[in-house]
Amino acid sequence: MTGRRDPTNPEGVGGLTRRQWLGGAGAALALDGCGRRTEKWSPVSIHRIQTYSEDLYDLVRRVINEHGVNIRGKRVVLKPNLVEFDERTVINTNPKLVHAALEAFRAAGAAEVRVAEGPGHRRVTLDLADAAGYFSTIPRFESVFTDLNLDQITRTSLVSPQSRLRSLYLPNTVLSCDLLVSMPKLKTHHWAGATLGMKNLFGVVPGGVYGWPKNVLHWAGIDESIADLHRLFPTVFTLVDGIVGMEGNGPIQGTARPTGVIVAGASPVAVDATCCRIMGLDPARIGYLGLAAGAQNLDEELIPQAGERIESVAARFSVLPELEHLRLPQPGETP
Amino acid sequence: MSYSEDLLNRQNADGGWGYHGGGSWTEPTCYALLALAAGDLAGSGAARRGIDWMARCQRPGGGLAPRESVAESTWLTALALLLPAALYGGEDRRGAGNWVLAQTGRESGWIFRLRLWMLGASPQDSFAFDGWPWFPGTAAWVIPTALSILALEKLDREAGTSHFKNRIAQGRAFLLARRCKDGGWNHGSTKALGYDSDSYPEATGIALLALHGSREADVDRAVGRGEQHLTMCRSSEAANWLKLGLLAHGRKPDAPHVPEHGTTMETALSALADAALRGRNLFLES
Repeated sequence: MTGRRDPTNPEGVGGLTRRQWLGGAGAALALDGCGRRTEKWSPVSIHRIQTYSEDLYDLVRRVINEHGVNIRGKRVVLKPNLVEFDERTVINTNPKLVHAALEAFRAAGAAEVRVAEGPGHRRVTLDLADAAGYFSTIPRFESVFTDLNLDQITRTSLVSPQSRLRSLYLPNTVLSCDLLVSMPKLKTHHWAGATLGMKNLFGVVPGGVYGWPKNVLHWAGIDESIADLHRLFPTVFTLVDGIVGMEGNGPIQGTARPTGVIVAGASPVAVDATCCRIMGLDPARIGYLGLAAGAQNLDEELIPQAGERIESVAARFSVLPELEHLRLPQPGETP
Repeated sequence: MSYSEDLLNRQNADGGWGYHGGGSWTEPTCYALLALAAGDLAGSGAARRGIDWMARCQRPGGGLAPRESVAESTWLTALALLLPAALYGGEDRRGAGNWVLAQTGRESGWIFRLRLWMLGASPQDSFAFDGWPWFPGTAAWVIPTALSILALEKLDREAGTSHFKNRIAQGRAFLLARRCKDGGWNHGSTKALGYDSDSYPEATGIALLALHGSREADVDRAVGRGEQHLTMCRSSEAANWLKLGLLAHGRKPDAPHVPEHGTTMETALSALADAALRGRNLFLES
C-alpha cells in the first residue's frame, strides 16, 4: 500500500493537465443553440470475450492500442469496482481483467501502474481484496495497491456543482496520476439505474474522511454527485468488465448475467451510455447521464462505435420493478 | 517483538500514527494509544507525543478531525474519549464529549421525519432511535453508533454518573433495530429494497462490544452469529473485534490464525484483544 506521495496540484501533472491529456474526450465541448453537441464523443469500442481466459491479456493490449492511449512514461491508476464479496454472486470487477490491464499498461510503457480503490461499505479493504481474489490473481498485489479510503488527501473545490457539495477531500493518488482508468462491472443499480464508469468514481471519495458508506454523497444527491465527480475527472479512460455482469437488484444483491463483452473508451459519458444500451436501458433516462451531458447528447449517432455492434451483444438485463421505466423500448414497442 | 514495541516503531515523527505507514490519521493514532495504555505505556513520552498530535486535530467545536488537513470533526471524536482520562483529559475531553453528545443521525431529525410524513412514506423502525453518523449531517450507522455508546458510557463511569443514560439507551435501541436477519450487523443497512442484507464480522464484533451486559434475547442470537463469523473469519481486524465483542458477553473466543497485512490497526487491535483475553478490556474500563 502507498499513500506517501506528496500532495500534488490536482490540475497539473508535470506541465500537462489531466484535461489536456486524453485530448478531446470532453475538453473541447461544442454545443449548438439547443445545448446539443455539434461534435461526436470519443469512440467507444465493444469487444467480445466469453470468459476470463488468458485471451484477456492480448485483448486489453489491443484495446489500449486501438484507442491510441499513449501513456509512455506516465503514471496510471486502475480503479476497479471492489464493493463487497459474496461467493453467491459477481459483485466486483474480475481481478483477471485488472491484472490484464496492469500488464497491458506496463507493456505500453507506463512509468507506474497502480490499482486503487476505496470500498464504500467494508472497512478492511485488503481483506476484501483478498476474498475477491485480487491477492491470488495479481502478483505482489499489496505492493501495487492503494486503499483510496486511507490515502493522503487534498481538499478539492467542485466547479459549478450539481449536488449540494461545494468541495470534497480526494486522494492524492488519483489527483496526481496522469491517467485514471475506471474499471467498473456492467451492473444494474437499485438507485441510479446503472452503475458503470461514472458511478465507479464514488470509490475515490475517501471513507477515512466521510465514513463507510460515503453517505455525504447520498444526501447530496446520488445522480448529482456522480455528475460532479465526472466534472472533476472528465477524461477518465473507461474499461468495463461486461464478461459477466449483474442484473436485477444490483449493485450487490443481483444475479450474474454473462454478457461476454469488454467495453472501452475515453469518454465516460459515451461508454456509460453504450453500456446502458447493451443492458437494454435508455441512457437518456439515467439521471446522472442526463445531468452530466444533457439527455439530448446521448443519442447513438453522437457516439462513434468500433468493434461489435450494440445490437449484436445486447442483453436485456432484468431490472427491479421500480426501474422498468428505464428500459429501452423493444422493437415495435411505443416509447 | 511486543505489540507495544511494534507500535512505537511505527510512530511518525509528528507523534501520530498512519494506517499503513504514511501520514498520521486520528483513528490509528487513537487505537495505537489505547494499545499502549493496555501495555501500561500510557505515561510514556511516545503516548504524550501522540496526544500532542491529536490536539492539532481538535477543532474549536470540541470534535476531532480525521487528519490535520481536514477542517471537519467526525465520528472518531468518540474514539478519543475511549482513551484513559489521565492521558486525554481536561478541556479537550470535555469538548469532545459535548461534541459527541450533540451528534445524531440526520434521519432522526424532525425535518427529515416531517418530510417523510409529507411524502406519505412510512419511516423505518430504526429511524425512531438516535444513532450517530460517520460525518455530521448524514445518517446514523452501526460502527459510529457503537463507538459513541462506548464513549458516553466511559464518561459516565469516570464521573460516577448516569447523565448519558437516555442517549446510550437510544443508541442501543438503534443497534438492535439495525440487526441483519442473520443475527449480526453490517454497516447499518439491513435490507436493500426489501432484500435482506448479510452481516459483516467486524461490524458484528463492534456492535456486540457496545451491547455488553445486554440481556435481550436478540443479543444472544447475535452472539451466536458472532461466533459463527469468527470460525470463518479471514481478517485480523475483524477477528479481533469479534474477540472483543464475544469476551464482553462472557464467551471465550477461539479464533483460527488469520494472515495480517502489517497495519497499525491490526497490531493495535491485536494488543487490545489480547489484553481483553487476559481480563482487561480497555473499551469497558474507566
